[in-house]
This record gives sequence, structure tokens and C-alpha cells, in this order.
Amino acid sequence: MSWIFEKPLVTLSDTKKIESDKVLWEAEDLGGITEDNNRVPVPIVWLVALTVLTAFAITFPLWGQRPTAAIYAEYVQAMDKPEIKAIQSDVAAIERIVAMSQGSQYNAQLERHPVTMDDLRILKPQIEELTKKGVDLKDYTVVGAQVVLANFEGNFRADGSRERQQPWWDKGYTIDIFYLSYFFIFVVLIIKRLPPSTWQPRHGGEHK
Amino acid sequence: MLKYLFAKNEDIPAGSSAIYFGFSSIVWFVIGTGLGSFNAAKLAFPDAFVGGGEFFSFGHMRQVHVHAVIFGWISMAFAMAMMYITPVLGNTKLWSEKLGVWNCTLWNVGLSLGLTVLWAGMTSGREYSDFPWFIDLYLAVAVFIPLAVNVWMTILTRRTQGIYTTNWFFAAATFMVIIVFIVGNLPEFFHLTGLTEAYLTWWFAHNVLGLWITPVAAAIAYYTIPKVTGNPLYSHRIGHLHFWSVVVFYSTPAAHHLMSSPLPEWLKSFASVEGVLILVPAIAFVSNILLTMQGKWNMFVENLEVRFTVTGCLLAIPLNMQGGFQQTRAINWYVHGTGWIVAHAHLALLGFSTFLEGAAVYLGLQTLMKRKLYSLTLGNVHFWMLLIGFSIYWISMTIAGLIQGAGKIYEVPYIDVVIAEHPYMIARWLGGTMVFISNIVWLYNMWMTAREGTVVPAGRMPHEMAYER
Amino acid sequence: MSVNFREYKIGARMFGLALGGSMLITLLLPSFDIAASVSTDVALDKQLSAGWDSGWQLGDPLLKGHNKPVKVLVKNDPLTGVALAQAETVYVYPAGTSLPNGVTHSDNLGAGVKDLSLEKGKIKDAKKESGAVFLINHGAFNGNNLPYVENATATKGWTPDAVMAKADDANVSHVGSGKTMFVREGCWWCHTLLPEQTQDWQAFGTPPMLGDFNGESPTAFGSDRKAPDLLHVGSRNSSKEWMMLHFFNPRLVQPHSIMPRFDYLWGEVDANGKKIDFDKWRAEYNEYHEGKRVAAPEVPMYAKDSEIRGLIDFVLSLK
Repeated sequence: MSWIFEKPLVTLSDTKKIESDKVLWEAEDLGGITEDNNRVPVPIVWLVALTVLTAFAITFPLWGQRPTAAIYAEYVQAMDKPEIKAIQSDVAAIERIVAMSQGSQYNAQLERHPVTMDDLRILKPQIEELTKKGVDLKDYTVVGAQVVLANFEGNFRADGSRERQQPWWDKGYTIDIFYLSYFFIFVVLIIKRLPPSTWQPRHGGEHK
Repeated sequence: MLKYLFAKNEDIPAGSSAIYFGFSSIVWFVIGTGLGSFNAAKLAFPDAFVGGGEFFSFGHMRQVHVHAVIFGWISMAFAMAMMYITPVLGNTKLWSEKLGVWNCTLWNVGLSLGLTVLWAGMTSGREYSDFPWFIDLYLAVAVFIPLAVNVWMTILTRRTQGIYTTNWFFAAATFMVIIVFIVGNLPEFFHLTGLTEAYLTWWFAHNVLGLWITPVAAAIAYYTIPKVTGNPLYSHRIGHLHFWSVVVFYSTPAAHHLMSSPLPEWLKSFASVEGVLILVPAIAFVSNILLTMQGKWNMFVENLEVRFTVTGCLLAIPLNMQGGFQQTRAINWYVHGTGWIVAHAHLALLGFSTFLEGAAVYLGLQTLMKRKLYSLTLGNVHFWMLLIGFSIYWISMTIAGLIQGAGKIYEVPYIDVVIAEHPYMIARWLGGTMVFISNIVWLYNMWMTAREGTVVPAGRMPHEMAYER
Repeated sequence: MSVNFREYKIGARMFGLALGGSMLITLLLPSFDIAASVSTDVALDKQLSAGWDSGWQLGDPLLKGHNKPVKVLVKNDPLTGVALAQAETVYVYPAGTSLPNGVTHSDNLGAGVKDLSLEKGKIKDAKKESGAVFLINHGAFNGNNLPYVENATATKGWTPDAVMAKADDANVSHVGSGKTMFVREGCWWCHTLLPEQTQDWQAFGTPPMLGDFNGESPTAFGSDRKAPDLLHVGSRNSSKEWMMLHFFNPRLVQPHSIMPRFDYLWGEVDANGKKIDFDKWRAEYNEYHEGKRVAAPEVPMYAKDSEIRGLIDFVLSLK
């Protein structure tokens, strides 16, 4: 059972254990099935590493969010500008509002979730009310004609309230890092306790 | 078989329980896919087959189909493989043939009863754990615990020092499925409600697939390929990576089935990262099996069992690419709740898993009955109809799912989505019906093998002999 | 039998550690978050109107919709007959009906709602043997206005018999047995009850909040959506007549629907006690479908104690 750490990437077992393992490995007949001692191929190691990185990257909330109240905040503010109020036609007004908000960080979302002036008139009081309360507009989603609190049970803010957004980092990711590390450490330890992969068992003998 | 129920254990011929399980599983496969075909027809032609009663209503039959294939076909084929492979790998006999025969009888009785009550609408209303709790208890006590006892005792009384990889999986999975059954049904035993109930429903559903179906199906391939090709398993080391990553990663992502429910976001983050990491066991499994095939690829064409196994193994690649990624936040919102998922579920159970255990049932029944397969032609017909039927199903449902996803984004009125999906519903029915017919062919072929297959001489294996028809 | 198990002892312990660790993270840790959820008005309404359970239970082994409360709109005080200032919705549990989860396991209600329900609502006075009448009230707890369950039998003396004696049948809604039908008939195989918080059809309405499920069993979210989400269907369509046609044969109102017919939930007879001739109806419908008839055959009005009544009441209650 002794552990040897001289060449950790080759084997962690001492010569005595390795020799007895080799003898058993070659002698034992498991219902006519034999096993080789090939190393985990390098491309497979890279593929596993890539999987771990991808796992985190693609779990982040990249797409697919409902429109939040925040994306329309600029539109709502623009509605009160004299320039917009002066425009008679709703179609022209919304076009002007959209043009004014070019360069907003929400451009992509605004493009996906276009609104009319009538929509904005319904949303305006609700969004203004929330702005007055000083809440984070990103916590609220626009569902039809209503602005409602999103149901994401996200991270806690300092004041104890929940962020109603999908998080870019939370304790779930942190647990993942530890969990993964334990797994890979243990599996490497198990694999490195085997005889070095330079040694291959000779099958045959009494096997059919 | 029933005469062995009250025989002395020593008087029961070795392999009896495996043969019993093998034929039971094929019969359940025919029943399960027949129900599937009927259900698909109901979706394609809602005004056909109107019997006026609840017994032919889609809502009563869907779960019967699902449970017949999972607990009839797949799980019984697993039991068949265990009854046969576990002792072989330990150079010993099955611990108790009598227990095996009783196990199979109680299984058939319990499943018939369970499906009958489901059909009548007596359901817990929880997907995948639809059985009312008295059936769940029955399945745990009369089905999975005796199975685990037999497998564990056979491994403990083995005549080898080591335990081969397949038996690690068998031992672990028979234990884990009991845990999953008991913990996953806690909401019914103790009347847990609300989000706890919803979460445990999916904890059960995820783990019955992840800790039972996937590992056991893979374990079977670890036996079939080295056995039939005669090659050594490529790497014992990859076997370790595979086994431990199944236990560690596959048991955790339950919450990814409820990504859009108000579960805590940290749990979704954790589950979703772990969900991608199911690619680790998948990569290990596929690479190990395909590398073991080196130098024997001709058998992929010539040998039926190898063809089934390698096909199942290749189907594991799209299966796990879908399974790993479709549950992440970046993708889940698009495909969740659509036909895409239905296609994925069939890729797992009818693609990957069915092909692997199909090989085990072919190989096991021939070996134990010492009869060569009656007809290669019928075997080929079975293989190709199964594969083509499944592919039609999978492709049509995947397209239907993408249509639904697009409909969700562009706010298409729902009925337009239903109209757009209609051709794919018909295609799904055609594919499913092909699968059903192919299984009737299989049952006939196996029946004729038992009656008229050429006797395999002592000391020879069926795959060493030439096909005759 | 001289087998060396040394290595597998280590393996077995590591296996236990791996599976145990996984269950610790995925079952134990989230249980604290879920246990901390506080019932909303929605949750109280759902659990009071659906009762103990809507899946298989000893009190209703064939899922006939038994062992269920009814939801009643009370306009006059059942004791004095005096008109109430505001009509009250009450949940009547006749004697012998299993009480809802929040009453039997008040921890499920969540902090605050539990305290109010116990102290002000007197829910522990409710007994299955004698039945009870519940309603949802609101009160202050630590500065928050929270809903709570009130046992009106204890607080107002409204017994189930008294309420039912005065109730007009039009104001009685069989939501509870309807939920049983929803589960038994597998409506949730195609209709989800979970508009998603990520992008989803806006028409399906607001996604549910964490506290909306307390005490509900089964939640029947559904996973395989082949039809519209129904969580808020009652707000989109509140027509009983439309529902009736749609359940009898969905193609009467939506020619492209793939929903099954649920005509068998009408039972043997219609509202007038007349036997329903299903064969004749189907034959006439087929003629209509083939263009041989101008109008579709009339859909019979369902009887008061038919199963379809509960199902329609349930669907309409999904606001």
C-alpha cells in the first residue's frame, strides 16, 4: 500500500505492488475477457479539458432572456422630450425614439423586442413607478402589457433581497470548481496507482 | 419457466432466469413500441380511433408506453444481461437461479399490474414516477432489491480476485437504482408537496436514466465488444475515468430539467455545469469501445451483435452532445418543452440504449440456449428497420422541436405551430410503426432460434459459427 | 472463496463518498432554499381549492375526484342571511374530507403565513371528522402584509353544512375534483403549467414565483409541450360555452387542433337527465365533417355531477 511520489506522472505505487498487480493482471481470466493498460489518449485528455471549460462558458446566461424593464427605460425617458412630444404621428415618433437610443447597451435586445408607441404608453407609468422606487429595472420583465418581477432566485444583494437575474457567478459555480477538482484529483490518483502505461499485459497463455 | 418457481435451486439449469428475462424483455418491447406507435397515430390523426372511452385516450396511454419500454424492455434486458454476464465475469454461477426466476415472475406480474392501473388513470401525476406509491414500493421490494441481491451475491462469491469493469457498473447501478426509487418517491411516501415534489420528480427522472439506464447499457458494451471481437478492452484506465465520472457527474444535474422554474439559481448553475460534464463519461465510453474495435472493424459489417453495439455506441455521440448542451442556460430556453426533447429521449432509450442491450439479448439468448441465431436475414431486417424507423422518428421530432422553438421567439400563434408540425407527426408515426414491426420480426426470429436454431457444440461460442439463413 | 477484497473496500468507500457527496449538494443544500419559501396568495388559493392531493391517494383510489373541497362564492352570511359587504370566496371541506397540506403541516406555509394562520386563522381547530370552511385573509407580520389561511368555521362559525345549504349552485366551483381530472386524463402531457422565465410566448402570461407552489401536489408542470401553456388560461378565455365545445370535440372550435375528445367525461346523461347518444353524435359529426350537414350537432349540456364540470371549473380557475 505504500505510495511513491518520485515520478508521479508514471506511477504512484511501489515496485512490489506493481509486480504483484502485473502477475494478477496477466494470470486472471475474467470470463475470457482481457484488458489492456493503454494510457488515456492525449486527444481524450484535451477533449475532457475542453469540456470543462465549455461547461462553464455555456452555462452563463448568454441568450434567451425575456425583455426586461431596463431596456425600455431610455425609450420611456425620451417620450417626455419636447422633440418627441412635437411629433404627431406615432409611427414617426417611435422611429425617432429608436434613432435617439442608438448606441444604447440594450440595442440588440431592443431590436429583438420592438414596441409601438401604444405599448410604451402602457409601460411608461409602470416603469416610472419602479424607477421612483429605486429598484433595479433588470429585475423586472415585460410580459405582455405588464411589468412584473422575474422569478429568477438569483444572488442575494447586500440588503438581503434577491437579484432577479440569471447570475454570471454564484455559489453553484464555486461548488462546481471544488467538486470537479476533487473528482479529477481522485481519478488521477486511482489511475496512477496502476502499473505504468509503458507496460502492457501479455494475454494469451490459457485464454482461448 | 414457471415450473422452476418451486424447484430446488440446484435443479434449475444455469441460464434459466436469463432466458426468462430475455424473452420477457422482447415481449415488453413489442408491447411498448406497439403502444408508442398507437400514441403517435393519435397525435397525427386525432379523430381516428375514437372509441368513446378513456382507455384509448392519449392522456391515459402515453405513460403506459413510457413505462412499458423503460421498466419492461430496457430494465428487463438489463436484468437478462446481469443474470448472464455477471457470473461469467466472475468464473462462477449465478448466486440463485431460483431467485432470478422469481424475480422475473414478480417483475412481469408487478409491471402488468402497474401498467393496468396507469392505463386506468390511477397515476401520481409525476412524470416518470407516474406509478402510484404502492406500485413504486412493489418495484423497489419485489423487483430491484432481489435483482441487486442476486447480482451482489454473485459478485461476492466470484472465483476471481479482480472484478471486471462491467461488474463494477452492474453492482453500482443495482444499488443506485434502489436509492433512486426510494428517495425519488419520497414525495409520494411522505406527501411532500410544492417545489420539493417537482424537484424530486426530476431528481428521480434524471437519475433513473443517469444512474441506471446509461451506465448499465454502457457496461453491456464493455462485455459484448471484447467478448465477440476477442480483443482486450483498450484501456482499464479509461474504464476508471468512465465509472467514476458516471457516479460523480451523472448523479448531479437533476435541476437542469427545471431550468425555467423558480428553483434557486445557484442550483441551476451547479447542475448545468455538471450537466455538460456528462460528456466526460460519454467520451471515455465511446473512445474505449471504438479503440477496442481496432483491427476488427470487419465485424461491424459481418457480426450482428457487434453491429448493434457499435451503432449504439456511435449514437452515444449525438446523444451526449445534445444532452450535455441542450440543458445549459444559453440553449435550454430555445428547445425546452419542445419535440426536440422528445427526439432526444428516444435517441437515449431507442437509439443508444436499445441497440446496446439488443446486442446483449441476441448474444445472451444464443449462448445460453446453445443455439445459433435462426436467421441472419431476419436479424438484418430487424437491425435496419429499427435503425431507419428510429432515424425517421428522431429527425422528424427534432425538426418539429426547432419549429416550436422558433414559434416561441417569433410569437407565432400556437395553432400555427401545431399545423406546421403535422407532417412531422405523421413521419413520427411511420418511424415508430417501423420500429414496432421490426420487433415483431425479432420476437419471431428469437422464438425460431429457440426451436430450430442450429445447436452450438460444447466449448464453442455462437459468434464463432457461421450464419445459416 | 479466498477472495481478496482489499482494493474494493477502498473503492466501495469512495463510491459511498461520491454518491453521498452528490446527494448532499443536490438534495440537502437546496432543501434549505425551498423550505424558506413563503406561500403567496396564489399558493394558498391553489392548495385550498385542490385539497390534500390530486394524484393517487387512499381517499380517492380510482381518481374520481373524491375527497375534494369545493370553492364557493358566498354573498350572504350563511348564519344570518345578511348580505356581506363584499362577497367572499370560501373553500368548503365537507366532513371527512382530507384537510389541505398547509393546515396539516403548517410549516409548509412558510414563515409569517404560518404564524398568522395559526394565531389569527385558528387552522389547528379544523378537524377532518367535522369538516371545515377556509378562506384567505391578509394580515400584518413583522411589517409585511401577508396572506394567511383562516378557518372560518372557528372564526365565524361558518360550518360546511351551513355554507352549502345557502349556496347557489352557480356559485359552487368544483376546482378540486377538476384538478384530479386534469391529472387523471393526462392534460399535462401536452399542456404545461409553467410559462418559462426565459423567453416564452408572451400570451402564456407571467411565470410563477417561488412561493406559488407551497402545498400543491402534484405540481404537474408538464415537460413536453404540444399545446399552449394553461397556467393563466382562465384570463385569456373565460367562456364556459367555448370550453364545453372544445372538450366535447376540439375540432368544433379549432379545426386544426390535435387534442383528443373528452366527450366521455360527460358521463351517461346530460343536464336534463336524458341519455346522451354518443354514437349518433359522432355519426352526425362525421357527416358535418364531410360537408353533408350544414351545422355541427349540438353539444349536450353536462350534468351537475359530471366529471367534465370539475375539469371546466378547474381550467377556468387558472387565472
